[in-house]
Amino acid sequence: MEESADRIHAQGLGLAAISYDSPEVLKQFAARAHITFPLLSDADSAVIRRYAILNDTVAKGTPQYGIPYPGTYVLDARGVVTGKFFEDDYRVRDTPASMLLRQFGLMPAVHQSLDAKHLKLGASASDDAVRSGQRITLAVEIDLPNRVHVYAPGVEGYIPVALSLTKTPAFQPDPAVFPPSKSMTLAVIHETVPVYEGRFRVIETITIGNAQELQPLLDTDRNLTIEGAFRYQACDDRECFIPETVPLKWTVKVLPFDRTRVPTEIQKKGGDR
Amino acid sequence: MPPGQLMKLLASVLWLCAVAAAVTVPTGPNAGDPAPDFRLPDQNGAWQTLHSILGPKGALLVFYRSADW
Repeated sequence: MEESADRIHAQGLGLAAISYDSPEVLKQFAARAHITFPLLSDADSAVIRRYAILNDTVAKGTPQYGIPYPGTYVLDARGVVTGKFFEDDYRVRDTPASMLLRQFGLMPAVHQSLDAKHLKLGASASDDAVRSGQRITLAVEIDLPNRVHVYAPGVEGYIPVALSLTKTPAFQPDPAVFPPSKSMTLAVIHETVPVYEGRFRVIETITIGNAQELQPLLDTDRNLTIEGAFRYQACDDRECFIPETVPLKWTVKVLPFDRTRVPTEIQKKGGDR
Repeated sequence: MPPGQLMKLLASVLWLCAVAAAVTVPTGPNAGDPAPDFRLPDQNGAWQTLHSILGPKGALLVFYRSADW
């Protein structure tokens, strides 16, 4: 998170994280993880309750009682919610960079250009290092020359752009997200079809699988290779070219979990709250 | 469809809706809602409020389980 704090601040956004931990626990954690943005202590979970996200499946009296359903709100300058990222599975969450990409369309730092016919193609990922359960977003950037278009999903009779990822137990893919298309009227045949022109971006968020399933799929440097393909048919104002399929590849490093805990004396105890 | 069957169908539809709702966790305020204000100490003992954390464009406000486990 701290690595992302600079990118978040550079966007004019503040950043704060709330948990039910005491200020002492937060102080130790911040020092150990080199965190400088505010970690806020909601020790009696009053704010968690005010946001109506108290995890009510946790038994009262246990040390875990008082935790929220984890998630992130995106707020505007007046403090109004403009977006939120929550998951049913508490082990699963978007990385900050993935949220920035999905919410604000922010270009990821890692970017590679690929050879493709009739257009320019780039592949990027919100993160180059991930942990089990994290959600990262992969992006494919398409840059079409003047007078060239490709077909958008939903088109009939032509081949629409498609992003596919090779299935593996290493991750669960969400459906790919396409931007709104334009309508183009093909004068010769009096047809109106959904197309893309100029630059556009297709994104797909994936959830990194559990550590056991991942382990055999990592190389010796703990790198995971994500493979996929981008398919399209480019046309200009005179002709349509042969459909193309460009192989895509992303490499992310899978980090182990940090299992260090604060000293027993200051760990959260169960009580009647 | 006889009324008895219709009621059965309705009951099973309602049951399915309840099941679907049960696996969807509460997520608090929605887009367009003002985020509830707060006043909480940070890791350095400084008090922070909703407004003190907002930048010129807004903020990301993260709720997480614990910094310790």
